[in-house]
Amino acid sequence: MATALGRPARPVLACGEVRTCLLPSSHALDGRAAAQLLRLRADEPVLVSERPIMYALSPEVLTGVDCRLPTSNGADIRAVGTVIARAALTGGRVLQAGAYFGAPATGPETRRPWGHYLVRPGLVEPVGKLPEQATAEGVLRGPGRGELDLGMISEGLLSRLMRHPLLDRTVPLKSRRTDLRWVARRGPADEGPSLERFALGEDGLRTVELRLPEAVPAAAAAGLCEDLALHDWLLTTVVHLVTRGGLALPAVDHLLHLWMPRSHVEPVLSPLWDVLEHSPGFSRQWQNLVQRIRDQLAVQTVRLLQHRSDTTSASAK
Amino acid sequence: MSEAVFREATAEFRTQSVPLSHLSLELGHLYMEDFEAGPQRLREHFAEVRVWADAARASVARRTGLKRPRISTCFLIDDYFTRFSTPAELIPLVLKEAERAGLVIDYLARESGCAVADRIEIAESVLHRLVESPPPGSHGGRPTVGQTGWLANGQRTPLTKRAALGEVTGWQPPQETAARNHSVFMDVELWSEQDGRRLWSCPFLAAVWQLARLGLLRHLGEPVLVPRPWNGEDFPQDWDRLPPLLQLNPQAAAFSAYRTCTLMPNRFLAVEDAVRLILDQTQVTPVALQQVAERSAREGLAVPEAVAQRATYVFYEEPVDGRLGKGT
Repeated sequence: MATALGRPARPVLACGEVRTCLLPSSHALDGRAAAQLLRLRADEPVLVSERPIMYALSPEVLTGVDCRLPTSNGADIRAVGTVIARAALTGGRVLQAGAYFGAPATGPETRRPWGHYLVRPGLVEPVGKLPEQATAEGVLRGPGRGELDLGMISEGLLSRLMRHPLLDRTVPLKSRRTDLRWVARRGPADEGPSLERFALGEDGLRTVELRLPEAVPAAAAAGLCEDLALHDWLLTTVVHLVTRGGLALPAVDHLLHLWMPRSHVEPVLSPLWDVLEHSPGFSRQWQNLVQRIRDQLAVQTVRLLQHRSDTTSASAK
Repeated sequence: MSEAVFREATAEFRTQSVPLSHLSLELGHLYMEDFEAGPQRLREHFAEVRVWADAARASVARRTGLKRPRISTCFLIDDYFTRFSTPAELIPLVLKEAERAGLVIDYLARESGCAVADRIEIAESVLHRLVESPPPGSHGGRPTVGQTGWLANGQRTPLTKRAALGEVTGWQPPQETAARNHSVFMDVELWSEQDGRRLWSCPFLAAVWQLARLGLLRHLGEPVLVPRPWNGEDFPQDWDRLPPLLQLNPQAAAFSAYRTCTLMPNRFLAVEDAVRLILDQTQVTPVALQQVAERSAREGLAVPEAVAQRATYVFYEEPVDGRLGKGT
């Protein structure tokens, strides 16, 4: 992340949170409608790509903060700056809203004029020294009262989008929203990026820990985590549909074609997917589910055909 | 990799740069009351402005070390809050009086161009770029300025509420966020609603005007309020037919500049203080900011980091009408 004056702000820690849910609409949005939905400001475009899957990304919006950072050891650390929020729609179907910021190792001893922070969008500067480890753990655990709340910012954006008049608020299938919190700490200069942990918690909470070289901007980490959150949500949702034994048809109609890992991940971070493919094997599980749904449908079709031919032959007699 | 081979136009976004002078020098801001006071008022205005314009030029020459720094001049006419006269009648008069004082107006702008220009809702876009300075304790959940229409430099006096036991809590003062010992609290109205339509406030349009002069406005990556050349033809009878920004002098330096200097009567002091408050809480397109920062640094004239710091002013004493023999 570079500042206006070309001096890199060098965050040592990036933190974010992303909410993923099914778009409350009876039909999937096309690129145009997606651009309308995600038009958070008039002067910057919604970026829409159609390949390999329809994906729309909103412009960024900033929220100013001046509060304590969440810390695992209770350290009282004030920070001032701006948090970036943005939203994405995949396949016209899955809506995501996320918030993230980067933090440098040290910041000024007092709060600076606001103009200082506005030319460093997405940077939250600690007053004094940043307790990196404690802050990373604190963010993953979630904020206490009055502490920087990324969930509130992403939730605010999500609920703003959900109220959009384009949406008829009808959902074709049951699903739950998931919440993924992530932190990325700066790794040693001679090492590539790594995915240290991906944990599924209760109540739809997921946590991701990354280690990234300095050159990788926070936005790229946010992009990777949005991609992870999206695919984790797809798995979670389809597993739920299949195990409940309900009709798999809505899943076929609305979700099965959305599995496209890494399609909108920065190339430098794309290899991090390999870890999850190896264990637990995200795509393997997905293929398995898809096969199961197809089998289910095939069996149903055969039964249906059998039933028809039975009735036809009966009436022919 | 496929990224380099396959591209989609709608998935990419580029921010164009604009040509930049060293200084954008504003020679005045004309409102109806100035016009109604007659040509004498304009004459007096330009005679006074000439003195400060020379000083501003000398200051840029000193700072840049250049004999002929790139300075462009501009003049703004209000056609937004009140419509008066016509371009055909007014503009030649303004140009004549400026020339009499030895001043050249390079660019002429209409105030309504700061609201909407070439069908782009510039003021609305800038409104979306406001990021409020958070008072201490802001942890992510504050209503946005877009809902209230007011922008402050701190925390307002809380509403007096009756506590549960019926006692009235006392008055609490507002607080400026960046206060030094004591607060100078300011709350600026950005717009009002009139007949169901939004009327932008004077400070808000003036903030847009500053951003345009600083070369920091873009719409979908393209520059806005781009000067249109004037070929010496007659000025139209209708303000709407006049381009929002007209380049009167073909030899003029670029309209936008690293810094601005605005020369105006001292009654505008409060308005311009409000402009600074707005600029201080406006997040400019980062790429545009970067372009200006890099080029100014390359010329050895790095701009101040904060946008509001790039605008300077001279507030001079207003001509007294009595002295002009009008007796009003």
